[in-house]
Amino acid sequence: MAAILLIEDDPLLRRGLQLALRGHGHDVRTADTGEDGLREMRSSPPDLVVLDLMLPGIDGLEVCRRIRSAGRVPVIILTGRADDFDVVGGLEAGADDYVVKPAQPTVLDARIRAVLRRSVGDPDGVRAHRDLRIDTAALTVSLRGEPVLLTPTELRLLLTLSRAPGRVFSRQRLLEEVWEHDYLGDSRLVDNCVQRLRAKVEADPSSPEYVQTVRGFGYRFGPV
Amino acid sequence: MTGRLWPRGLRARLLVAVVLVTVLGAAAAAWSSARSARNALVTSTQQRLTAAVAGQIGAITPQLTYPPDQGALDRLRAAVGVHTLVTYRGLRSADGTGVEPVTGALRSAVRARNRLVTQRITAQGRPWLLIGTPIVITAPDGARTPSGIEVYTARDLSGVERQVDGLARSAAGTAALALPLAALLALLAARSVLRPVRELRDTARRLAAGDLGARSPPQGADELAELTVTVNEMADSLQASMAAMRKMQADAKRFAADASHELRTPLSTLAAVVDVLAAAADGMEPDARESSQLAISETHRLVRLVEDLMEVSRFDAGTARLRVDEVDVAGALRDCLRARGWLDRVELEAPDGLLLRLDRRRLDVIVANLVGNALRHGEPPVRVHVSASGDQVRIQVTDGGPGVPEHVLPHVFDRFFKADAARTRTPGSGLGLAIVLENVHLHGGDITAGNADGGGARFTVRLPRDVEDR
Amino acid sequence: MKRIWPVLAVLLLTACGIQPSGVTGGGEAPTGVTRGVTLYFIDAHGDLTPRLRRTDHLGTIPEAMELLLWGPGESSLRTEIAPVTPKRVVVTSTAGVILLRVPFTAQDVTPLGIDQIVCTALAVHVQGGGPRGMKVRIGFTQDTPESGKQRTCPLIK
Repeated sequence: MAAILLIEDDPLLRRGLQLALRGHGHDVRTADTGEDGLREMRSSPPDLVVLDLMLPGIDGLEVCRRIRSAGRVPVIILTGRADDFDVVGGLEAGADDYVVKPAQPTVLDARIRAVLRRSVGDPDGVRAHRDLRIDTAALTVSLRGEPVLLTPTELRLLLTLSRAPGRVFSRQRLLEEVWEHDYLGDSRLVDNCVQRLRAKVEADPSSPEYVQTVRGFGYRFGPV
Repeated sequence: MTGRLWPRGLRARLLVAVVLVTVLGAAAAAWSSARSARNALVTSTQQRLTAAVAGQIGAITPQLTYPPDQGALDRLRAAVGVHTLVTYRGLRSADGTGVEPVTGALRSAVRARNRLVTQRITAQGRPWLLIGTPIVITAPDGARTPSGIEVYTARDLSGVERQVDGLARSAAGTAALALPLAALLALLAARSVLRPVRELRDTARRLAAGDLGARSPPQGADELAELTVTVNEMADSLQASMAAMRKMQADAKRFAADASHELRTPLSTLAAVVDVLAAAADGMEPDARESSQLAISETHRLVRLVEDLMEVSRFDAGTARLRVDEVDVAGALRDCLRARGWLDRVELEAPDGLLLRLDRRRLDVIVANLVGNALRHGEPPVRVHVSASGDQVRIQVTDGGPGVPEHVLPHVFDRFFKADAARTRTPGSGLGLAIVLENVHLHGGDITAGNADGGGARFTVRLPRDVEDR
Repeated sequence: MKRIWPVLAVLLLTACGIQPSGVTGGGEAPTGVTRGVTLYFIDAHGDLTPRLRRTDHLGTIPEAMELLLWGPGESSLRTEIAPVTPKRVVVTSTAGVILLRVPFTAQDVTPLGIDQIVCTALAVHVQGGGPRGMKVRIGFTQDTPESGKQRTCPLIK
């Protein structure tokens, strides 16, 4: 049972989604504007935010950016349009995943559960690679002794890649393992998340050391 | 007017016509001047010859014995020259060699008129002037009475004829001189006429090629200018109606996009609510349960329809983009079938390890629509066959059904096209094949619909091996 | 188009060459033949009168003058020109005027005699085809005002 904050301006959809998600076992609070939502977050941080991008007042992208800068609470965006502009904008603003309207509650529920699932497989102790330490049991990461605050999705991506250093993961594979998408996942989710992860763990994100690109195939961890 | 002799090109026709008219005109002018010159020449020659003969006769008559004897006639004849005959009652001058200088008409004219008369004849292949005259006796008081002596003589006109021929030749030469001048003028005229014609042709060609803004400026006020104005007006009305049609089309498309956009939020609400309803359905009364199940399935149908509409709107708006990845075709197709639970109903034949650069999601849409179509409208076996050749990959979806009727084939990719009224309640949105077509085109490929030799429907998709990002 | 060529050919043909024609008038017939010369003498009443002298041809004005000067011969006629020898008359014709140079003086001839000379010369001139409006001037051997006069014959108008 997760505590979910739903930010949606349409009252009927807000209520409908609240009912449906509650039916899937979530504790759902709602807000009808971005300002309201952010206030709500400060008063009591949820486990996850479901955010409509089309909002009156400060728009969804801005809300997403502020949530991301405030902490590690995962965000799933509801895009009115499946236009690239909205999806790319939302991912760049730090969203973990997206669902296109008309949204099916089962799909939304599956995405929520995937984003909230932090661990991958069984913990196998601490993985240390040069300055990077990944504690698979405590689910913490530190760089040169300093803790690195990763979102659940970023953490799960790093755990997946570092489980087999040097092995190449295709974007498709990563989508299935990290996002639990079906075989038609949007590979831009992976690329965006990799960029955010690099920004947090790499000394120079433009020539990465830990998360490396294998052109034409995907990503791999190291070799370090 | 024989088609073979008469040239086809407008320029050649103008040229021939103008040259013909000019040369005919010049020839006519030359001919008439040559004719009047000839007439003047002949007349003056005749007058000179006649005066000479009269003079010759008048010079000898005072010395001539009257009534004359044979010798007098011969002397007179000798004085007038060869080709001469002198008669007096029954007497005739001695026959000389040469042309018989008298005709019946001339003799009767001499006797009737009692004056000098002339006649032109052709003899021995040459023109001659015959001069016949009586010799009259003039009394001291001026009264003239016939003497009975008649003189007939012939004068050769060949020299005059040669002069006339020279005149005719120079006239023909003048007419011939007009020929190059006429040709030059004709070319100039043809150019001035043909230039607007050519401009008009270019305009018409551009219009035919779809450039509806093409116009040619009318010049002058002739028939050609009127034609140009008419063509321009035609192009105007064509352009206006095309613009109106485009606007209507764009309006219709925008309406579809707007409508589907507006439907999304209420549909999301509906989807959320029927989700709750579905969970509670088991505990309902049978009628209520059935009603809620209907609501659920119809809501899902609506969701699919709106999703398809939005997809089509993206193609119409030109915002559809390819996201090209390296894709293992066999794997992708297997995933596509597996995800929909079709693996055991569809035979998939695809070479392993065939990697293509294409949009994986759109490939899925293409194959899922075609296979779904075959499963719904056709009969088993449904086959998906993939083959690669050169720079192309061919994906063929066939079924074992009766095939697509010939009259339906050209319309299968039309939006909302239903082959027959009975099929109006099929689960598809009616947009599936239209979306397939757009997706194939977005990849730079093509798709054809037909029937296999065995009778089943066959859809063939051809995609380039390496799709460029677009 | 096909029918124009023969027409053209005919037109061109008629332009060149000389065509035969019908009979046309060519002017006055020549004249000059005669049975004899007309001489002018004076009859019994003292009038000027023509007399045909059979010569079978017209001859020239000097010839006629010589015959006139020989006189009327055996007849009732007389002449008023004094007999002279030789009987040679020189004739010079200029525009509109025949000049006769006679071998005697004005005193050798009466006015009627002058008419005889003028009429005889004019008769030859007219019978030879000359115009009747011709004037005659008589040049005498002695220059007198009579020589300058231009005369006509009272019988030939």
